Amino acid sequence: MNFAFTDDQLALAATVRDLLAAQGPGLLAERRGPAWARLAELGFFGLLVPAEHDGLGLRLADVVLALEETGRACLPGPVVETAVAAPFLLGGPELGKLATGALCVTLVQPGSGLAVDADVADLVVAWPRAAGRDAVRLTPHPGTDPGRRMFEASFDGEAVLLPGSAVPALRRATVATAAQLVGVARWLLDTSVAYAKVRTQFGRPIGAFQAVKHMLADVAVAVEFAAPLVYRAALAVDCSEATADRDVSGAKAAAGEAAVLAARTALQVHGAVGYTHELDLRHWLARAWSLAAAYGGTAEHRARVREAVAGVPRWP
Amino acid sequence: MDLDFTAAERDFRAEVRAWLAANVPRNLPSMNTPAGFQAHREWEARLADARLSVVSWPEEYGGRGASLVEWLIFEEEYWAAGAPGRVSQNGIFLLAPTLFAYGTEEQKAGFLPRMARAEDVWAQAWSEPEAGSDLAALTSRAVRTDGGWLLHGHKTWSSRAAHASHGFGLFRTSGEGRHRGLTYFLFPLRDVEVRPIAQLDGEPGFAELRFDGVFVPDSGVLGAPGEGWRIAMATTSSERGLTLRSPGRFLATADRLVELAAGADPALADRAARCWLDAEAYRLQTYAVARRIASGRDLGPAASLGKVFWSELDLRMHTLALELLGERAAATPWFDGFLFALAGPIYAGTNEIQRTIIAERVLGLPR
Repeated sequence: MNFAFTDDQLALAATVRDLLAAQGPGLLAERRGPAWARLAELGFFGLLVPAEHDGLGLRLADVVLALEETGRACLPGPVVETAVAAPFLLGGPELGKLATGALCVTLVQPGSGLAVDADVADLVVAWPRAAGRDAVRLTPHPGTDPGRRMFEASFDGEAVLLPGSAVPALRRATVATAAQLVGVARWLLDTSVAYAKVRTQFGRPIGAFQAVKHMLADVAVAVEFAAPLVYRAALAVDCSEATADRDVSGAKAAAGEAAVLAARTALQVHGAVGYTHELDLRHWLARAWSLAAAYGGTAEHRARVREAVAGVPRWP
Repeated sequence: MDLDFTAAERDFRAEVRAWLAANVPRNLPSMNTPAGFQAHREWEARLADARLSVVSWPEEYGGRGASLVEWLIFEEEYWAAGAPGRVSQNGIFLLAPTLFAYGTEEQKAGFLPRMARAEDVWAQAWSEPEAGSDLAALTSRAVRTDGGWLLHGHKTWSSRAAHASHGFGLFRTSGEGRHRGLTYFLFPLRDVEVRPIAQLDGEPGFAELRFDGVFVPDSGVLGAPGEGWRIAMATTSSERGLTLRSPGRFLATADRLVELAAGADPALADRAARCWLDAEAYRLQTYAVARRIASGRDLGPAASLGKVFWSELDLRMHTLALELLGERAAATPWFDGFLFALAGPIYAGTNEIQRTIIAERVLGLPR
């Protein structure tokens, strides 16, 4: 039993974190821009692609912390769809293109029927069909998050039918989204703490007031206990555990809830200026809300946990 | 990163599970009644005969040198089996880690084996009428005398003290200031005036202790005189952290809650599922913490995150059970559990104190 990340897993996350931090605030407005190119150079989009297709052949548990960093950075674009779902949807030649970062993929959500960032994707998947972007009619749909634009996608032209099952891809995409939510929550907490240390009222930093302290402590507790559920879900999916679906839903519900709490608290701590476009905070607020709804919302996943735990003995 | 138990860990779990299935007594009376206290001590002796009362202690003191993960496995099995509450918990979980860290060989040999069999049952003597959350405001004092100290003062909310044999706590030995000049004493309760105090369930789970020149020899001082605050903080860190309330207790409660909520209104069943998930989260976080401790890192103020989480989870679980049971709740163990859970956010440092510790020492917010 060693429920701790290896040095390699930690190093990968640190590399992604540093790379994204070095992009500066311009990253927030880019769609598939310099940060994507840098990640592609790093091999980020091939992390889960099998080695025989020029990927690194890693498992989700190896990369879950790196995915968390894409959430912390509020990286726009179909990151989860391209780096995590696509390797388990596509085959042969597309996998090689994925690994080099030459292929950007989006996925029509099974629930909403909307596809994130389809306008910058090369390939749109509406399971079991896949088509190039030019063969799909895209209609913009209002979204909550400027970094995750939503589209209706109509398959008018030629599409190919994908083999196999969408389940391995959807499970992994859901865990990856949960990991991003943990990253978003960590950024919101860190940023709120930093602000509470410097914003002064009544002659004191607002972070010295107990009401503010206790709100932020609650966020710290929520993040501390959501993250291990996400890491465990990654392991369960990798090993195709019998409990994988339950663990995935548990991870998504807990991470979504932690991030939404972190967003609510961050806004309250920042006060009026947080409620404006004067700060970048709004990007992380929007990311918390949009990712909490992606791949099934908190209530939907909690209901799945409820159905899964009734009458089933606990592990081990 | 993995969550795979070793063959030795699986064997240990199987041994514990089989022994408990054959030996767990049912329906012991409350440990806060004279008969129940005696029955719980006898249960501890049976556990000790199987070398299961203090698995993580070294063999020479009655344990089996188990790892932290094995101890967590023991706890999971213990509570899943519906085994009784631990009458000796203040000694074995709170005092013993401090004794191992600061005790003399004589103190360890004299106190630990008897504690492991509940031949001695220890009560803590921290709080005073005017020193609760603000423990450093305590005023009880110890005065130097030939070969030892004379204890004076008034302690209260001392769990198990109505029937216990020994106590441990802090007394002022000089007037140097709030956190200095405090000394950690170990003492028999026979010369202390003990007044039992009924808790919400009507049983005398608390007592107040009055010291009127109670003699304690030098061998009853834990660590050096004046070092009591630092040593006591080591105890409260283990209390808030792993040893007081391991995940096993909450996993067992959550499993029973899910059973109770089966077939209930989905809104209530969803709340049960959330509790189940939170218990699982506490378990996983604890496995991660166990790894940190095993690699030599201290739990430190992060223990406060766990204390807030498990105490509020426990209360949510029992509150939901009462909603599910309605007017019939009081006839079930859930009601006693509810009363017990209500104490969770209060003892071992209130959750308000814990949140302040998290904000200041984990997040770094200004005092």
